[in-house]
Amino acid sequence: MNENTMQATPSADVEVEASASAVSGRPIAIQVNNLDFYYGKTHALHNITLGFPERSVTGMIGPSGCGKSTLLRVLNRMYDLYPGQRATGEVMFSGQNILGSGLDLNALRSRVGMVFQKPTPFPMSIYDNIAFGIRLHERVSRSEMDGRVEDALRRVALWPEVKDRLQASATALSGGQQQRLCIARTIAVRPEVILLDEPTSALDPVSTARIEELLDELKTEFTIAIVTHNMQQAARCADQVAFFYLGELVEVDSTARMFTAPRESRTQDYITGRFG
Amino acid sequence: MDGTAEQPTQAEPPQITRRWDGDALFRTLVVLTGISVLIVLGAIITVMVTGGWKAFSTFGPSFFVTAIWNPVTQHFGAVAPVFGTLASSFLGLVIAVPLAFGTAFWLTALAPPTISSVIGMAVQLLAAVPSIIFGMWGFFVLVPVMAHYVQPTARHMFGHVPVLSALVSGAPFGTGLLTAGLVLAVMVVPSITAVMRDVFVSMPTVLRESAYGLGATRWEVMRQVVLPWSRQGVVGGIVLGMGRAMGETMAVTFVIGDSNHIGWSLFAPANTIASLIALEFPESPAGSLKLSSLMALGAILMAISFVTLWVSRIFLARGEARAGKRS
Amino acid sequence: MTRPVFSQAADRPQRSGVLALRRKIIDKLATGMSWLAMLIVVFVLGSILWTLLKNGLPGLTLSLFTHSMGAPGTGGGLANAIVGSLLQTGLSILLGAPAGLLTGIFLAEYGADSKLARTVRFVSDMLLSAPSILIGLFIYMVLVEPFGHFSGFSGAAALSLMAMPIIVRTTEDMLRLVPVSMREAGIALGAAKWRVILFICVRAARGGIMTGVLLAIARVAGETAPLLFTSLGNSEWSLDMRRPMASLPVAIYQYAGSAYQDWMQQAWTGALLVTVGVLIINIVVRVGIRGGRT
Repeated sequence: MNENTMQATPSADVEVEASASAVSGRPIAIQVNNLDFYYGKTHALHNITLGFPERSVTGMIGPSGCGKSTLLRVLNRMYDLYPGQRATGEVMFSGQNILGSGLDLNALRSRVGMVFQKPTPFPMSIYDNIAFGIRLHERVSRSEMDGRVEDALRRVALWPEVKDRLQASATALSGGQQQRLCIARTIAVRPEVILLDEPTSALDPVSTARIEELLDELKTEFTIAIVTHNMQQAARCADQVAFFYLGELVEVDSTARMFTAPRESRTQDYITGRFG
Repeated sequence: MDGTAEQPTQAEPPQITRRWDGDALFRTLVVLTGISVLIVLGAIITVMVTGGWKAFSTFGPSFFVTAIWNPVTQHFGAVAPVFGTLASSFLGLVIAVPLAFGTAFWLTALAPPTISSVIGMAVQLLAAVPSIIFGMWGFFVLVPVMAHYVQPTARHMFGHVPVLSALVSGAPFGTGLLTAGLVLAVMVVPSITAVMRDVFVSMPTVLRESAYGLGATRWEVMRQVVLPWSRQGVVGGIVLGMGRAMGETMAVTFVIGDSNHIGWSLFAPANTIASLIALEFPESPAGSLKLSSLMALGAILMAISFVTLWVSRIFLARGEARAGKRS
Repeated sequence: MTRPVFSQAADRPQRSGVLALRRKIIDKLATGMSWLAMLIVVFVLGSILWTLLKNGLPGLTLSLFTHSMGAPGTGGGLANAIVGSLLQTGLSILLGAPAGLLTGIFLAEYGADSKLARTVRFVSDMLLSAPSILIGLFIYMVLVEPFGHFSGFSGAAALSLMAMPIIVRTTEDMLRLVPVSMREAGIALGAAKWRVILFICVRAARGGIMTGVLLAIARVAGETAPLLFTSLGNSEWSLDMRRPMASLPVAIYQYAGSAYQDWMQQAWTGALLVTVGVLIINIVVRVGIRGGRT
């Protein structure tokens, strides 16, 4: 069976255990242990064990339907929105199993932010898009809010482009700008972890490059998990890469080793483009 | 907490334990509002049935089969207004459906696109005109035409034909069943046309084009491709129009003639349930048998409109399922 | 006796000649009838509008808007009826819109396909198509008879029952058009569901929901039957919702059935006002929809 099962109790010292993580020397922000996931009767994830090291980028790759997005949506309990979806196993975050009951999901999601495939600007002004998330969790003065909004926009390098039209509708921005706005909105809440679900697949190459640059800066402060279909993107941005296939975690390793000397032949095949 | 995975970046992370977030309250609020809709309908039905109970219990089942409406002898029966409701709506639909179908055919197959959208929009707008306007138009424009031209002509032509003479008998007042039917037809034509046009347009263009590609004429495409494809939606639209016609008050009250006798003549004055309520309610004191009889009629009208809606929903839902499947 | 392969081709002109003629005649007949139907419909509907304008425009004077209804020949206007209509319609929307909005939210966001939601949806559609005179009768029994007098408030209540189902329908339809990703993005920020619904989804759908409210206004503003037994009508100036209140459609109904020339004139002018108002709202809505799409 699985040797981790016995040790992976809520009291286990995840920092030391750090199972299935390939970035050495970093504490683990989120540790997934023996996770199984079901869409109704469909078994979508099989016994996943994976650690997300703090302040580094974990890239998740694999063909469509392999379960990488599903795993992402477990980490902020997004699957709770849909009846019939359930997870078993353990996801340790901040010393707590977030799959347990009695959890304030809204607080969890304020600490584990998410950015989606398609930009999702809210139907309000640029300013209010950022302020919306902050207001949910904190009471801040007007001037402090202005500062927080500006700070968030600066960090995604959107400030110079929008500083004169903060009250304009966010939906009027270009696709790349919208996605950066969504990232700004997420980091404005000051999460610890940011989940990105194919954040550049709807964007042009220039916008994609800007987002990738951005990830490099953000990882100095946030733990990042990114699902991507783009192998080059994973190679460029990630510190460790996890390869999923048919609901299983085939292999996880540092980016360098993953793309030069994968241990599994399935990984090799996928990376070299033989399937997927 | 075992203190092992503390985040140094966050001075005071929000606790991930459940707290009250207002969701339960909001959920309760919207569910209760939704349920209140059920309560309103339940209350309407209850009020109609209990209000009409005195009539139901006084006359028993004979209320449903008696054609007498006599406030003097305090004898009331539902047959005459029910007949008037069904007959005027039936006449209205017999007139309206061919007109609506022809217009929808014209809008979707014959008219140049720009003219089609203008006339289509105009027709749709007219579906929003308040029904009292149709009533006034019927009373001031249609009734004189009926009295001076249509009715005398009809009597002249058919007055001596054995069966048809019964249909055209009566004094030429201009009001009556046929006039009510005509006004109802004019009132429901815009909405039936709009529904028909929508279902015709919703048919995938490839089907239409492949039929034309076989060399079919416009009528053949309509008759053999569009109509079979959209039959359910068309029927649903017609039944919906029928529901409107049967429940209509103002368009009918002006022109129906206010009589509680059943006559075979198209020109005989009559009453519908709605017009009878509108006309007689002011003279029905609270607690009287007459008021109760009007409420009982209201309950019957409610039941009729319920069945109509139900039937139209079945057809429209089937039509939609079909559209979803084929497109 | 060997037939050439394409021998049918030789028959074709003759055979299809008869058939083609027949088909052509039927097509001409059908399209001709279609033209006729369209012309009849356009003629009749045009006749209604023309009658309205011809009879209504001459009565369009300033005193119509400045004077309350009066006895025949005393130069009364329709001011109190116009204001009464505005008040009752306005109040009915104030009552009906929140209820319709919340029910629409229930159907789109919480009920989905549950049994309760399907029932509420069907019942709401029933209210939408219920004969309006029965709504009036119902309100009479619950709000007029128990209190012993007709009132503008009960008129507004009757109208709100007609307005609500329209708003329920459009709210649900419009909320369903809001993409799932928008909801997920809100949830992912840690917003509670009710916040996501009220501040993101409803906001995203606000144009469509406003359309529903406008259509509801247009619908109830011209309703006569629900007011006959509820607000009754009042020939005097009154802003008191607890007392009988005049309304334009009821005034038209009373005046049109009268035998006095000036009352009939005012009935036509009132009808013109109601129709123009209703049509303007509908045109605004349609132009708005078209503008929103592009």
